[in-house]
Amino acid sequence: MGAVAPAPTGKPLGRRPWVLGLLLAVLAVGVFFSPILGTVTISPDTVLRILLHQVSGGALFSEPCAGSSVPASGCAGLIEIVWDARLSEIMLAVVVGAGLGISGGTLQGVFRNPLADPFLLGISSGGTLGAAVVVVFRIGVAEQNLLLPLFAFVGAIGTGAVILVAARSRFGSVETLLLTGVALSSFLSAILSLLLLYSPTGSLQVDFWLLGNLGSLDWTQDGIAFGVVLIAGTLLATYGRELNLLQLGPDVAQSLGVDSRKVRIRLLLLASITTAAAVAFTGIIGFVGLVSPHVVRRVAGSDYRLVLPGAALVGAGFLLAARDLSLVAFPGTLLPIGIFTSFAGAPFFAYLLFRRRQFSTMGAP
Amino acid sequence: MIGPRDPVLRFRAVTVRFGERTALQDVNLDVPRGQFVALTGPNGSGKTTLLRAALGFLAPDTGSVELFGSEVRSLSVAERARRVAWVPQEESPREDVPLLDYVLYGRYAHLGWLEGERARDREAAVRALKAVGLEDRAGDGILSVSGGEKQRAVLARALAQEAPLILLDEPTSHLDIAHQLDLLSRVRELSGERGVTVVAALHDLNLAARFSDRIVVLSRGRRVADGVPSDVLSEELLARVWGVVADLRRDPRTGAPYLLPHHLVRPSPSGPGTFLGKGPVHVVGGGGSGAPFLRALSEAGYRVTTGALHLLDSDLETAESLGALTAVEVPFAPIGDEVRERLRVLLEAATAIVVAPFPVGPSNLPNLEEVRRMLGQVPILLVRRPPGEEWDFAGGRARALEEELRQGGARSVAGVTEMLATLAAEPVAASSQ
Repeated sequence: MGAVAPAPTGKPLGRRPWVLGLLLAVLAVGVFFSPILGTVTISPDTVLRILLHQVSGGALFSEPCAGSSVPASGCAGLIEIVWDARLSEIMLAVVVGAGLGISGGTLQGVFRNPLADPFLLGISSGGTLGAAVVVVFRIGVAEQNLLLPLFAFVGAIGTGAVILVAARSRFGSVETLLLTGVALSSFLSAILSLLLLYSPTGSLQVDFWLLGNLGSLDWTQDGIAFGVVLIAGTLLATYGRELNLLQLGPDVAQSLGVDSRKVRIRLLLLASITTAAAVAFTGIIGFVGLVSPHVVRRVAGSDYRLVLPGAALVGAGFLLAARDLSLVAFPGTLLPIGIFTSFAGAPFFAYLLFRRRQFSTMGAP
Repeated sequence: MIGPRDPVLRFRAVTVRFGERTALQDVNLDVPRGQFVALTGPNGSGKTTLLRAALGFLAPDTGSVELFGSEVRSLSVAERARRVAWVPQEESPREDVPLLDYVLYGRYAHLGWLEGERARDREAAVRALKAVGLEDRAGDGILSVSGGEKQRAVLARALAQEAPLILLDEPTSHLDIAHQLDLLSRVRELSGERGVTVVAALHDLNLAARFSDRIVVLSRGRRVADGVPSDVLSEELLARVWGVVADLRRDPRTGAPYLLPHHLVRPSPSGPGTFLGKGPVHVVGGGGSGAPFLRALSEAGYRVTTGALHLLDSDLETAESLGALTAVEVPFAPIGDEVRERLRVLLEAATAIVVAPFPVGPSNLPNLEEVRRMLGQVPILLVRRPPGEEWDFAGGRARALEEELRQGGARSVAGVTEMLATLAAEPVAASSQ
């Protein structure tokens, strides 16, 4: 079960908080340069000029399109593409990635299970199903931006509750937990598919929701997702110390002063809310929550006070990189982002499973 | 606040049930400040349940558990952690945390929300590491140290908690003998130096006797014995609670009592257990009358006990050659109380009793009296005496006792062959494997 930790070599990694600063810097650079990539070709220097123009409130580069082939009259359109379409898409990638990353880190800690992840446990499917219900049944079209996340919360939290009940019967059993999650996830996805196929817009919607998508957004959706992920994520990040203690088992944690039951329920609730906010506007995006915490443990140490914020940063970077790579590999089209995360995540999942098997045959802890 | 007069830990008529099973039954216990209490009893006797109730992990069905005068479940989880620390049987950490950080986990209950460890928390952790002799290993990962060191790190974490009470649940069960002694001496020392109260569930009675001020024995959820080790430990207790026949000796250096276990006496009261051969069958004989039965039983795979015999009796020689436990009296003296008590233990431990055709006089008449006490509890086999031979030298009292045994259900057998056949047909006597 110690698959998470590096093989015992005497001196553990220890805490490396400065790594978080590095991750943040890399992410900031990524966010700044990512708008260069998009479905239509705009020269990089024009993109950067537009960005600086917008960020400075028009003070810098008053004529951002000057010197490019675009006539001055078309500049407003370019600004719209770069600022409203690309940047809002990028910010959504960052927010959703951060939400999924911190949820994954939390779930791995709550279940003491290195394979826990909002996607694998079905929480993402639950949230997506909730959101899709709003779209398919055209519930309150005007208030959709509000109702989408709300229904997503209900779906995600409901799934989280089922997982908690299933896990409680045999806590710590990886197999029980994963199989329950996989079963739940497939079941909820099946309902979702059925629902979408019979909806007026039909199978196009299926692709959107089941494969994860960053397109067709606006700043309001970004804002809502950002607000919820920021609040719930910040709350989650304050539980690093408790999660450290929970790794010793719920009883030991309780003997040290952590109200294990209460804390675990609270964490599962917050992780479900964060996941729901992440998937409400994008559909199912897998494996971000699985991979990110493991990356952080390798570079910053296994202290959850670092793992949680670190997983948010790595998750954000992961999803942003997936978007950019998708655009580099298939110029001109933005493929559903979930395809890319699964390409990277599934082999990693297999690797973790393999390592775990290896550990257990070696009789390691 | 913690009142100075209140007992550190108090159980008042505590009963804990798990469904049908009663894990603790009406347990009362007061542990005063600074005492080192060893909690012992067979598997499933309720030791762990008692500790878990003291930690507030489970609520008793009836009765109350108090830590320093307050009901434990009414205290916040953090307040409990400031009053009582726990060293579990075995901990399996997942992350390779440096030992110093592992010990710092013990400071959690002393920190405010989002508050980082302060200098005095680090000092407490370093002090605790020193106390267990791990100060040079502070930077090593918990997954890379040995089992003994890991258990010491867990003890250090409990010390860093600075709780006035430490509960240990079989802390040495995964350690070799050197590390067992090491860990318990450290706990003993700490309890003396720091005035920390210790309650430790310990399987090993000899370790319990050696290190504790007081032994509390649980059996099937009840407190069946409680006192200083030399009062509590006895052959009788071992047979009654653990179902083990043992010799009680005294350590010539420390004066602590210690037990030399021999074998199991009957299916252990608390579970299936393992058994070394069939029986035991107790043979009451004397003057060589018991020898053929002892030999035949031993050959047939039964463990045997015998007595009470007088020293120099030829049956005693046979018994010793077979490794049988006996109750022995000095020659020609009437069987005294002490020997009688020992005979009782042997009889109660037996799965069957065989009364050999031995000559009975006033000095060994108590043998038959004690066998009579066992009527209805175990099968009793009376070997028929040769007709016309005088054997009752106790003025008819021996004949009367034998008649009582027959009336009470004792079966008459002709000799060795019929005895073995009868025992083989007797489910209790032969059931042990």
